[in-house]
Order: sequence, then C-alpha cells, then structure tokens
Amino acid sequence: MDPNDVSQPPHGAPPLVDGGEERLERRVVAYWYATDLLKSLVLAAILVIGVEFWRQSGNGPTWAPVVAWIAGGLLVLVALVVPPFAFANWRFTVDDRLLSLRFGILFLENRHVPVPRMQHVDLMRGPIERLFGLATLVVFTAGNEGSAFRVPGLSRVRAEALRDRILRARGRDVV
Amino acid sequence: MSSELPAVAAASPSEGAVLLRGHLHPAVLLLSLIGGLRSAAFPCLLGLVADRMFLILGGVLFLVQVGTGLVRYLTFHYVLTEDELRTREGVLHRQERRIPIDRIQDLGFESTILRRILGLTVVRVETASGQGVEAVLDSLGRGESENLREVLLRLRVRVARGVENAGVSPADGSFPPPPSAAPDPEWTIYRASPGMLLLRGLTDLRIGAVLVAAFGAYEVADRLGVLTQIRGVGATFYDWLRGFPIMLAAGMLLGLVFGVLALSVAFAAVGNLMAFHGFHLSLRADSLLCRFGLLTTRQKTLPRQRVQRVRVEQTWLRRLLGVAVARADSAGSGRGTGEEAPGGFDVVIPLAELAGIEALLPAVLPGLEQSSTQVSRASRMLVWRVFLRSCMDIAVLIAVLLPFAHEAAWFGLLLVPFAWLLGRLYWQGLAYGLWQHHVYLRWGVLGSYQVLLPTAKVQAVALMRGPLQRLLGLSELRIFVAGGPPTRIPDLAKAEAEALLAALSARATIAAADEWNERRVGFHPGPA
Repeated sequence: MDPNDVSQPPHGAPPLVDGGEERLERRVVAYWYATDLLKSLVLAAILVIGVEFWRQSGNGPTWAPVVAWIAGGLLVLVALVVPPFAFANWRFTVDDRLLSLRFGILFLENRHVPVPRMQHVDLMRGPIERLFGLATLVVFTAGNEGSAFRVPGLSRVRAEALRDRILRARGRDVV
Repeated sequence: MSSELPAVAAASPSEGAVLLRGHLHPAVLLLSLIGGLRSAAFPCLLGLVADRMFLILGGVLFLVQVGTGLVRYLTFHYVLTEDELRTREGVLHRQERRIPIDRIQDLGFESTILRRILGLTVVRVETASGQGVEAVLDSLGRGESENLREVLLRLRVRVARGVENAGVSPADGSFPPPPSAAPDPEWTIYRASPGMLLLRGLTDLRIGAVLVAAFGAYEVADRLGVLTQIRGVGATFYDWLRGFPIMLAAGMLLGLVFGVLALSVAFAAVGNLMAFHGFHLSLRADSLLCRFGLLTTRQKTLPRQRVQRVRVEQTWLRRLLGVAVARADSAGSGRGTGEEAPGGFDVVIPLAELAGIEALLPAVLPGLEQSSTQVSRASRMLVWRVFLRSCMDIAVLIAVLLPFAHEAAWFGLLLVPFAWLLGRLYWQGLAYGLWQHHVYLRWGVLGSYQVLLPTAKVQAVALMRGPLQRLLGLSELRIFVAGGPPTRIPDLAKAEAEALLAALSARATIAAADEWNERRVGFHPGPA
C-alpha cells in the first residue's frame, strides 16, 4: 500500500469521498465551549466583580452594576449559542484544484482558494485542541491582508491527510 | 552600459556564478557623520544653555550614530549571483539575506538631495513577502546601482527567454548567450507635463481636508470653552478692524481667508511639482520604469507580469475636470485601504486625462487591448440596501440625539431622501466586468474609482452575505490578490456573484497551474 495514498486513511477510518462536501468533527463544539465559553465566563466575571467593587467604594452611577450584569450575561449567552450554529454551518471541500470553505452564522462566507496558489500549509494544534484530538489547517496564499485561510476542528488524521494531499497536488516548489 | 556586459557574459555557466559583488559607498560614512551631528546638535545646544549633562548625551548620540554607520559600512556586503541576491551585515548579530532573482518584484531607487550631492542612491528591493521592502542597500554609488539594475533586468529577461525558447530551466546551466550587446530599447509610455502636475497639486483634496480640520478644530474649541478666549481675541481684532471703513475691513477679511486658502493650495502644488517633477514612465524589456522627483529623485522598475492590480482614481474634483491618477500595485507593495505608498512609489501616471489613461493602460496590463470592454451593472436591489442601511444609521442618530435636542432631533428625518439619493448614486457608480484576462470594477459616489486586475493574479475569491444582504438576495464578492487589501465588489445579485466566484476561481486555478508547469518543465501553453 502506498503510504502517501490518502484515499485509504489509517486507523481503519472509513474512506472519504474525494472532493465531496465535508463537515468538521462534532467534538469541535465541545472544544469551542471549552475555550470560548471559558473565556467569556472569565471576562464576564471580571466585568461584574470589577464593577461591584467600584460601586462598593462609593463611585459610579447606581445603574452601573445592572449594565455590567447584562453585558456579562450577553457575553456568556453569545458564547453558549454560537458554537452549535457555527458547527452546523461549516462545510468545506478539497480536491486537487480548489479548497472551498463555507461558514458563518449572521454573515455567511464562501471562500475559494486555488490549491496551486497556496504558499504554505500549516497544521496548528494548541494544547486544548490536542486534548480534544483536534487540529486546525491553515493555508496561506501570497499577499499580506487576509491571506490566511483556516479550517478548524479537524481530526488529527484527517488534517494530516489533507495537508499531505494539498502538498502533493500543489507540487514541490511554487513561487 | 555596454561596459558592464562582459561581467554577465564572462560569468561561468555553473549554477550560482557570481555576477556582481560590492560594498556600500564610502560616502555613507560622511552621511552618518552628518546624521550624527544633526542628532547631537539639539542636546549640545541644551548642554550649553542649561545643563552640562546634555553635552554628554549629545556626545553619546553622536558616537552611537557614527559607530553604527561605520560598522554597517565595514560589514555590509552584497553578492548578486545568477539566481539570487545575497546581502550580509552585522558583527555580533550577523544577518544574511538571500533573495531569489525571480522573487524580486520591484527595484526602487531613491536619493535625497544630500545623497545626490554625494552621488549616492538608496536601492530598495521589494519581494512578495508582504512586508514590502525586503532589503535596503543604503547607499550605493549611482553608477554601481545603475549597473546592479542593468544586470538584474538582463538576468530576468534571460530567465524568461531561456524558459520560452530552449524549454530548459535556466538552473541547468544552458543559458543562451545575451541576445545583443546593446541594452534593450526603452519605449516612453508617458511623460508628465508641468501643467498636469500643477493641476494635480491644485486638485489635491488635502485643501478640503484642511478646511474640514479647521471646522473640526472650531467644534472642539467650542466644546472645551476655549472659544470664549478666542472670542476675546476676535473682539480685539474686531475693534481694531472697526477703525477702518467698512468696505476696506470686509476686503481685508476676505483677503485673509483667500490668503490662507491660496497658501495651502500653493503648498500642495509645490509639493506635487517637486515630488513628481519630470515624471517619466517607460517600458523596457517587459519592465516598467518610472523616474521622478526634483529634490529627492526616485526610480523604480516593476516587471509587467508582476502587476497585481491597476487603480485609476478620480476624486470628485478631478472627476469634474475629467482627469485621473493611475496606480499599480505589485505583490508585497500592499498597504491598508486608503493609505498611499510612501513617496508615491505606486503611482504610474500622476495625472492625465481619463481617456488618455485608458489608452495607456494596455501598456501596463498586457492583453487588455484585445479584450472586450463590456461592463455589467449591479443589482438594483443595491439601492434598497444602501437606503435601508442609511435609514438605520439615521434612526440611531435620532435616538442618540433625542435626549439632548428633544423635538429638534426629528429633523434627522430630513436626511431620509438623501439616503435614497446615496443609494441611487452608489448604484449608478458601480459597474463590473469579467473580461478576457482581467476583472474590471468601477465604483464611487462622488468620485470615480476603477480597478483592473489580471485574473491570472487572483489568489483567492470569497463571497460574503450579511443579514440585510440575504434579505435582499445580494452578495459581496471579494477578490484577494498578492498586493494590498482585497478588492470588493459589493451587492451583486446572488446568482451572478456565485457564477463570478466559480469563474474566477477556475481561471485562477488554471493560471496558477500553467505558471507552475512553466517553471518546472519549461512547458509554455501560450496565451489562452
């Protein structure tokens, strides 16, 4: 068996349809909750506690804590609501010529990145991402603004397969 | 220039043969000496007047500047081989840079008045790295830098020809001999007339910016209560003015206002005349050459196939007069939206009649002459989107003003017709076209801005749809190129936008694949 053959992924995973529409791993929702929700909770807590202390020292208007509670609550609410929707709307397709991404909740985006235009392909795995066994694929095109395109929430095996396949399709040396 | 040619011809065919090598010009030392004196002058003055400690500070500043200049002069070293430009500098922190020849996007020469007196030129090497200038050789002798550019240009042409003719990659060492001893002929594309440059200065809207800023300053002064003091000064001035007959006083006031205006216009005009003095755009062996400047002279070469995007811009004043500015973005030259390249390095035509610029464009963007120039209009729903968006803004404005201005805030409703007008103008200004080798886009409410970008340079394409756009069935198309921010075509009908997205990404993929084939095996499919 050709070790570079991506159509036969290791670990007995089912073969993936090439060029077909794919979704992210379902556990990315849990990952987003673990990171974004935690971040929002900490931020909201800091906001509320800070304003409470500020009020205790006799400063600020009486409605300040109310505003802080509402703002903190909204922050947490958004972090609670967003991940399932983000997951539900994420789709991507890869073949030898094109990487296309579709995502977004309020603002829908559809991006097409020609594979031969990719400058380099990165695999990012943060510490919490690693706990969940997830990886983010980042492809860069030439240019400075908006030249990085990322696909989050891939299983490590799939991400590596995608990277290898893109690199193979792109050829060895492109400017 | 023929004296330099043996250096190229004599280069051994082995890979990476050294063509040129050199150091900085010794006069750089004088430059750092002057720089040191300049930075030490102020502390020394302070030292003489106030505290002796400042003298020490001045001395340290002077020594540091001269020292770094000396170290840089002694250690800086560049080598041009057949496939790369290497620079090296530094003692403790040694830095070596290697820039492959075919990645060099743009070569810029700049020399300030001081450097010109000393016969020096700063060479700026731009690549597609996104930082713009990759290496700065500050400074070389004028002859040396000309020579460097000559050899570079020749190398680039040779790489291109080697691929096309022989079908062998130049790295194999089978370079064809230089085609002729004489340098390639130079074709003048455009030469700026002093009148046009003057007009450029006169229509520089920074005058408008000055007026706006003055108005803003007045507002701020009003808020801070400084105005009463200004009024006090004004009252004295008024009393003084009252001493004159009324006609004379009015005349003096008018004269003052006009004087300030004329001064700012004159500043803009002189600035433009000096910056773009003797602007000359020419074409040589498929590279664009620009030369301009009175005190600080600038030169740049931009290979035509590296042009990522050409912009033809008319601010409202220039649109009234039917004149426009043309700029070319190369990869890596990208700056944020609305920012100008420092020193006007991206200007291709400082100012000319719009028809004239349109006639010249094929010289900058090859392939444009044979393509159709058909444009399509955006969806009419765009008028609604702009109108609704503006109405939302007006609603917010009224809501914010209501606690302060009470009933008067409802006068904000008078803005609603203008929101519709804005939508209409926006729709009228917007047009786009997918031509044979280029994407065309025109937009603008008062001014008119046109963008042309080769489809082969497209890096990525994206569609965006916000909530309001989804409601109206609209989509925004974003085209990413290697230079500058993405080009946006707002508010296309959804089906049209999706067709464009597919067409553009397909073309970009094919172009990229062709480019890649060309590089690897010398396979050249020819223009599609």
